Amino acid sequence: MSLRSSPTTRLGAAVSLARRRYFLTFVALAGLAITWGVMVAFDWSARLGTIALAPWAALLAFDLGVAVGALGALATATLWLVTANAQQAVLDGVQIGVRYGSMLLLGLGSGFAGQRLRESARSQRSVAALQSALIDSTLDGICLTDENGELLISNRPLRRLAAELGMPASGTVPERLLAIADAIAEPARYRARMQELAGTTGDATLDEFELAGTGRVFRGYTSPVEAPDGSFVGRIWTLREVTADRELDRMRDAFVATVSHELRTPLTSISGFLEMMQEEEASLGASGKRYLDVIRRSTQRLHALVEDLLLVAQIEARRVELQLAPVDVADLAARAVEAARPAADEKGVHVEVHRDHPPLVEGDGDRLTQVLDNLISNAIKFTEAGGRVRVETAEHDGGVKLVVADTGIGIPASEQGQVFSRFFRASTATQQAIPGTGLGLAISRALVEQHGGHIAFVSEIGKGTEVTVTLPATP
Amino acid sequence: MRRVLIAEPDADVRELLELTVERLGYEPVAAAEAADVGAVLLEPGSAVGHSLLRRLGDDGPPVICLSIYPREHGLEPAQSVAYLMKPAAAADIAEVLRGVLAVQPHH
Repeated sequence: MSLRSSPTTRLGAAVSLARRRYFLTFVALAGLAITWGVMVAFDWSARLGTIALAPWAALLAFDLGVAVGALGALATATLWLVTANAQQAVLDGVQIGVRYGSMLLLGLGSGFAGQRLRESARSQRSVAALQSALIDSTLDGICLTDENGELLISNRPLRRLAAELGMPASGTVPERLLAIADAIAEPARYRARMQELAGTTGDATLDEFELAGTGRVFRGYTSPVEAPDGSFVGRIWTLREVTADRELDRMRDAFVATVSHELRTPLTSISGFLEMMQEEEASLGASGKRYLDVIRRSTQRLHALVEDLLLVAQIEARRVELQLAPVDVADLAARAVEAARPAADEKGVHVEVHRDHPPLVEGDGDRLTQVLDNLISNAIKFTEAGGRVRVETAEHDGGVKLVVADTGIGIPASEQGQVFSRFFRASTATQQAIPGTGLGLAISRALVEQHGGHIAFVSEIGKGTEVTVTLPATP
Repeated sequence: MRRVLIAEPDADVRELLELTVERLGYEPVAAAEAADVGAVLLEPGSAVGHSLLRRLGDDGPPVICLSIYPREHGLEPAQSVAYLMKPAAAADIAEVLRGVLAVQPHH
């Protein structure tokens, strides 16, 4: 942890001299000697009294603590008494007692105050040392800047990362980040983003960038920091290397893609020979026909799974291109419902469609149908017999709002954050052995977002789930 | 009778394609007998497909790709006239083959 050098350095040096051990004792003894010298030289013990020696006794006690301070104060009072006696001052017992008592109290008080101050400074130092150790030993590079982006404080990992990235050692943080733009994989995009960041004071942001030619990926986070009373303290910036995470993602995506490709060879012969066998279906007995039906259904499911896996890989590689044309989402929804109706009827789930003649939107009809199929088949799949599924389309902000609501089993609140993650399946689905791959919603979200739209849901266990998709007029 | 050359690494899929081709009234031939064929049914993502394409050269018969990889993988050769992804329905293969062989001059 390091602090920016402060303009009050000279004052700081004076303070640190004063803090040196026994400096105050030295000053107090010198003052005491001079005051006493004046007292002796001018025969002033009665005129000055113990009060002239009191500040030095107090200083001495402050620096040396309660016990030594009390003794010092009594010694100072004695010094005065001896001097006064030598100068033939007339003193009664009360006068002497009051002076001794006051000096003793002064010594005790100052000594106690000094001790308290030193203890508090010590504990502050140890808290600061712990805090510094804490932020220096994290993996993330962390720093805090003022409202102008000037560095206030930074931790060791940040200084190490900044050096590795070749950032300059001076300038505001946005300036330092901009200075390394040419070393980043997409310099233009990075530069634009950093300029944008330098201008914002608002929300928290998260960005990832890759160091060109090295494959090293970094994730930067920045957010305003506020005191508990809401006043602006500064802006925090954190930097973390996520190369290993991204490498793991790449490996998983490559694996998913490979599986999707390799499954196609056996799937080709299974579905091909199945087609041929269907021509001979008439010659099969009742049970043979039933077996053939099961094989056909399972082959279709396997085919759908392989297609979903491929689509996920393509989405990850940003290789899905939309074929845009004016699309009637209400019409697509009605058709998707009709396609799903046999399955719903078989399960005893009632499906209703409400359409409010929403406007046409620019979209890819096939991809949006895929989204609708996913949402509607999910709604039917997770709703028990006697339940209802409602599919609604309406105008929204010049675009379309689509709602698919069910009265199904719902998603536990603790799992709702992961619903759109690839391969995630809710515990309510796995416990009841409802088949699925955990890809439908991940694909749906990616496709909706590619259309410039938004997908969200609300769900309650045992009550049902309502998914809302909004699509703008043009992506 | 039109000859359709099949270059497919998997024995089961090869058998399926041979049957599909026969049922359409064409003669399936193996990659080794490349002469006098009207069309090639080929897996572009396989070694057998690659070596065959090299052997056929640029002015060989029209190639129909039937692949486990999507088109974006860039495996499609210059001689390709159609690209299908596995598993393709027999009807789709038939449609493409008929189309390709209909526009071919008789040998």
